[in-house]
Amino acid sequence: MTAPGKSSVQIENLAKRYRLGAVRTDYTTLRDRIAGMFRRRQATPESREIWALRDITFDIGQGEALGLIGHNGAGKSTLLKILSRITEPTEGRAVLHGRVASLLEVGTGFHPELTGRENIFLNGAILGMTRDEIRRNFDAIVAFAEIERFLDTPVKRYSSGMYVRLAFAVAAHLTPEILLIDEVLAVGDVEFQRRCLGRMREVASSGRTVVFVSHNLDSIERLCSRAVLLSRGSVERIGPSSEVIAHYLSRRGKGAVVDLTAVDRIGEGRARITGFEVLDVTADEPLDALELRQPFRVRIHYEVHDPIPGASFGFGFLTAMGDRIFLTETFETGKTFDLEPGPGRIDCIIRTPNVLPGTYRFELWISDIPGVRATDHLQAVGEIEVTVGMGTDGNSVATLTSGVRGIIHVDADWSPLYSGAR
Amino acid sequence: MDPTRTLVIEPTRGWRAIDLREVWAYRDLLRVFAWRDVKVRYRQTVLGAVWVMGQPLVSMIIFSLLFTRVAKLRAETGVPYPLFVLSGVLIWNFVAGAIQRSGNSLLGAAHLISKVYFPRLVVPLSNVATDLVDFAIAALLLLPMMLYYGIAPSASMLLAPLLVALAGIFALGAGLWIAALNVEYRDVRVVLPWVLQIAMYATPVVYPLSALPERYRWIAVVNPMTGIVEGLRAALFGGVMPAEALLWSLVASVLLLVSGAYYFRRMERLFADVL
Repeated sequence: MTAPGKSSVQIENLAKRYRLGAVRTDYTTLRDRIAGMFRRRQATPESREIWALRDITFDIGQGEALGLIGHNGAGKSTLLKILSRITEPTEGRAVLHGRVASLLEVGTGFHPELTGRENIFLNGAILGMTRDEIRRNFDAIVAFAEIERFLDTPVKRYSSGMYVRLAFAVAAHLTPEILLIDEVLAVGDVEFQRRCLGRMREVASSGRTVVFVSHNLDSIERLCSRAVLLSRGSVERIGPSSEVIAHYLSRRGKGAVVDLTAVDRIGEGRARITGFEVLDVTADEPLDALELRQPFRVRIHYEVHDPIPGASFGFGFLTAMGDRIFLTETFETGKTFDLEPGPGRIDCIIRTPNVLPGTYRFELWISDIPGVRATDHLQAVGEIEVTVGMGTDGNSVATLTSGVRGIIHVDADWSPLYSGAR
Repeated sequence: MDPTRTLVIEPTRGWRAIDLREVWAYRDLLRVFAWRDVKVRYRQTVLGAVWVMGQPLVSMIIFSLLFTRVAKLRAETGVPYPLFVLSGVLIWNFVAGAIQRSGNSLLGAAHLISKVYFPRLVVPLSNVATDLVDFAIAALLLLPMMLYYGIAPSASMLLAPLLVALAGIFALGAGLWIAALNVEYRDVRVVLPWVLQIAMYATPVVYPLSALPERYRWIAVVNPMTGIVEGLRAALFGGVMPAEALLWSLVASVLLLVSGAYYFRRMERLFADVL
């Protein structure tokens, strides 16, 4: 029973462990398993374990809108995935009173070959609506998405704006008691975002519980009365959203040197990268988040074991998935270094990182034969978050979020050549 | 669904049964998935239906030429060989296709599985349903063939849908096993077509049981598909129902389905993390 004033979600000591090895690198094959039966069991290296969440305990009241903030990797998405039953917790439990719907992505399951009409039914069913519910809300969904004329067009011909509007329209007509939302407002134009936010406020004020994850601190503050700050898998702070957001902002910038001891490396290691920092350009302040287009400095600490004549340093900037966005290397700018045994460090300043808000990683290397071979190569280290920033450009920046927008931002000048029909 | 229901999320361990009530609650999703696949399959190719019928038709022609002309096989099939082989190929294609598609279905739905909750069983189930639609369309080929060979309608033909249903149970059971194994072992997908290919020749699809040397007969006896294929022929074209073989098919299929459902359920909680 969910009497008013009672909690709608109770989370007790929730924890989630991922075995890194089991997920990616040690992905077993049946052949290995069968071969293993005939071989003596050899000591396999302990697969590394990561606690994505640890000891999470808090309650969410009925009709409350709760914001979930924190850096990427802090466990926000994992928590949402557990609450929406996509993945199981390793320890602890969560009790949810009422029907749950989750929206971890707009347009989940949309099929490009199917028409808008067909996709409304498909997406609705995937989100847990019954056929009758979809029928009842059909006209409202179409009106909200403003796609009447394209209802019978396959969605592969939709513009990305239409696609997102339709997807959100379906989701906005879900009527669960508990709605879990992950960063979905980061799409669409400003006007549509405003309508989505309005719709979500409606949902929250009608007595439903909303849990909302976003990097957009502004919308968290506007929508949610209370917020939880997650940090490295634990609750760092919980309270009124303005207070939690203020704490989060004040804490930003206290990044640390990335620990490179447990990182996979390639190369014979005549020199080794021992540390790595992302710093402010002017002051030597470490950063763990960048505002959109904020210049930054990468500092690589290293230790040389064998003399290397003509060495080159480089680093790559990667998406969270590990795809390289750009790289830069000293020898490309005509700089190589004769390294003598001992420690050292080198800086590189990136003046205009034109990447959209999101999470990014780095790869680092020292080459003994520049352009050909690395003597030490770290393939994916660190994590830096690029945030929307707190309003240098106002609204135009707020919409520059990755996802449908792609990864990079370019300055474009448009000028009309014709206007009107010709 | 009950709006005041309480959901408890906890780590689960060990073996649990599939929550059939939950699967039933998601029947709309099952319908939508199957409908989506059918629609997409027939929309992308203008010749959708022709494509589905073409493969068994070509198989029938090739095997007929091969076995009756080239190999001069005097098969004691009881019915004209083209009919014999067409019926065999149709039901075999249904089962093999359904096993393969439902077995690989989770990988295809990985994106959905990592983004939204629903009983994962819906995915392989909808694949079997889609293949059933294909089978129904391809089976239309039998009508002109039976007319041509003068097979009169008989009461036993009413058993045919039951045998197809049994084939579906078998395919779903095997598909669930493959689907769950596929998540853990990625080479299953590579081996599967190979195993199915061999299995076809261990089943009386293109030749009658009687053509099998005595010492290999046991393969056909333990193979649950034998009863299904032979039974379907007996139902359609008349003849003695292979009662014993059918009973074994039924037992084996149900066992496969139940064990597959348990194994699938056990692996289910890993799907989102591994896919």
